[in-house]
Amino acid sequence: MEIAVLVKPVPDAETRLRPDPAGKGLDPEGVKWVLAGYDESAVEQALLLKESAPGTTVRAISYGPAVRADEVLRAAIALGCDRATSVEAPAGVADDPLVTAAALHLALSRFPASLVLCGKQTGDHESGLVGPAVAELLAVPEYGVAVNVRLDAGGAEMTLQQSVEGGLLRLRAKLPALVALQQAWNDPRTAKLPNILKSRKAPIDRVPAADVAAAVAARLPLATRRLAFRLPPPRTGAKMIEYKTPEEAAQKLVRILREKAKVFP
Amino acid sequence: MTGAVVWLERTSTGVAGASREAVGVARSIAGGGPVVGLLVGAGGPSAAERIPVDRLLLVDAPGLADASSAQLAALLAAAAAASGADSMVLAGTARGRDVVGRLAVRWGAAAATNVTDLVAGGSGELHVTRPVFGGRASETLELPGPRRILAPRPHAFAEPPPASAAPPSEALVLPDGFSALPGRGMEGFEPTVGSKGPELGEASIVVSGGRGLRTPESFHLVEELAESLGAAVGASRAVTDAGWRPSSYQVGQTGRAVSPQLYIAVGISGAIQHIVGMVSSRVIVAINSDAQAPIFKVADYGIVGDLFPILPALTAEIRRQRGLTGSAPG
Ligand SMILES: Cc1cc2nc3c(=O)[nH]c(=O)nc-3n(C[C@H](O)[C@H](O)[C@H](O)COP(=O)(O)OP(=O)(O)OC[C@H]3O[C@@H](n4cnc5c(N)ncnc54)[C@H](O)[C@@H]3O)c2cc1C
Ligand SMILES: Nc1ncnc2c1ncn2[C@@H]1O[C@H](COP(=O)(O)O)[C@@H](O)[C@H]1O
Repeated sequence: MEIAVLVKPVPDAETRLRPDPAGKGLDPEGVKWVLAGYDESAVEQALLLKESAPGTTVRAISYGPAVRADEVLRAAIALGCDRATSVEAPAGVADDPLVTAAALHLALSRFPASLVLCGKQTGDHESGLVGPAVAELLAVPEYGVAVNVRLDAGGAEMTLQQSVEGGLLRLRAKLPALVALQQAWNDPRTAKLPNILKSRKAPIDRVPAADVAAAVAARLPLATRRLAFRLPPPRTGAKMIEYKTPEEAAQKLVRILREKAKVFP
Repeated sequence: MTGAVVWLERTSTGVAGASREAVGVARSIAGGGPVVGLLVGAGGPSAAERIPVDRLLLVDAPGLADASSAQLAALLAAAAAASGADSMVLAGTARGRDVVGRLAVRWGAAAATNVTDLVAGGSGELHVTRPVFGGRASETLELPGPRRILAPRPHAFAEPPPASAAPPSEALVLPDGFSALPGRGMEGFEPTVGSKGPELGEASIVVSGGRGLRTPESFHLVEELAESLGAAVGASRAVTDAGWRPSSYQVGQTGRAVSPQLYIAVGISGAIQHIVGMVSSRVIVAINSDAQAPIFKVADYGIVGDLFPILPALTAEIRRQRGLTGSAPG
């Protein structure tokens, strides 16, 4: 069976964020692009499924400027994905989750999969919209905040667990479907050096920018437009509570929470 | 902009607080038009709930208490058609956001989640602000009309006061083709062992513990403090990696991102990977014996000292102030 994993290039967590000169987006200068955190869980889940069901092929798909997309696709291959599709963003196209979903949908129509895995949300824009929108475009059900997926009935069905308030829901569902992963139970694996080196030469299938432009055209009038990108004023550092006994510290903190911060329940 | 539909998400205790906040947001973007609440599942809200909407649309069919997001998206589109609304607001819970993604496609609307602020201009323009990069930056977006969907971040907007009387309600006619949509397929529920508090991602107060607790046995000091506040319990990766608590407790880059009203970090140094998961909390308190710990750079209030005497004193003081008895309930 075919499994697709949607992976987004996001800036490495150590990146020092800076607005671009127009103040409308992140300055991409010097940014290292890596797999979004939950996407690592999605890749890990795909690879676990592949290991449990021989004959399964995992394809990583990424949409964005080709250099960035290729970077994370090679990382996905180094981890164990079999194939990769780079969906090339047309120059100047709106950076909107619904536009992204339309582009990924085009890729999935060329490289179909019976199970699509993605992350719950990305660490940069944190919209959480791309997965469910792709599912709607594919007309398949989506299952969010999943932590564990198991295939049954030779890949026709799956059992999955969703992390919800107070516990885990166990669901049974038919394929085709899309599952958005939250943090996996297993720590995502790390790539071995020989595989990283090999991934540098791995072939990448491409969905050209011109085809993407045509596929997203209908969505563009509804795309959000970014007017500003800002950094918050730097935190000035904590106000330290002076005290002589633990009880005094406790009383002072509770008073501050109640009267100044107004967060006491 | 005229009129808005709000999905009133249910919890075991009634309409979710985040959905009540969504009603306030709907009012501010409805342009003077009606605000219509959609309630899916058995029965209307009890009289005590007095949700401040102008009208309630009810859908009560077998199995719909636990509707799938495809079903909810179809019902919301039908509610908008029935009321003529051109905006929708859904609480930014995990389920709410799943519905927004589908609905934006199905209903042909611009959409933004995780919204913490908005400006609805007189000539119909709508600008929203949302934190990005785990609260390390923010962006302002313009949402083109005519149709728009917003998911406000829980706790970002105030709950509007309740209405003086229950709103008028009527049944929503199920849209064509509805019965063909797949349900959620729920099979069973396994409560998290030992978890009594609210869900980490949606709690208004989170108390997290780190390696400073020293042993898994002393982690209960954090849990007792959380319980006294009705808070969710979180942990640093040092704690989850060591297996003191399951990885579902982990806050940070590779764990959960949280943004409660109050975040209390106990014995946590404040590594960047932890900070990105909690820095957008409204008020941050840190308790740490090392005055130089980086957590104090992002905290609003700090207590420098040994957590072992401080935590029990704090828990006792909170219990006293809240009129709770000394022994842990239930
Ligand atoms: C790729 C990657 C991803 C990561 N993701 C995450 C993540 O998602 N979440 C996360 O939390 N970490 C993450 N980490 C780990 C992170 O870098 C830190 O190692 C971790 O957060 C440290 O946990 P800690 O603060 O509990 O422990 P420590 O750094 O050991 O800090 C313990 C603190 O307790 C204080 N202390 C000790 N005794 C007492 C006492 N008696 N009273 C009061 N205070 C005391 C100390 O002063 C110290 O500041 C990640 C790391 C990497 C490399
Ligand atoms: N540009 C992209 N390319 C591939 N997958 C993406 C892209 N953007 C988002 N996704 C997928 O959709 C998930 C949710 O992203 P978001 O809606 O941006 O929070 C991510 O975790 C990815 O799995």
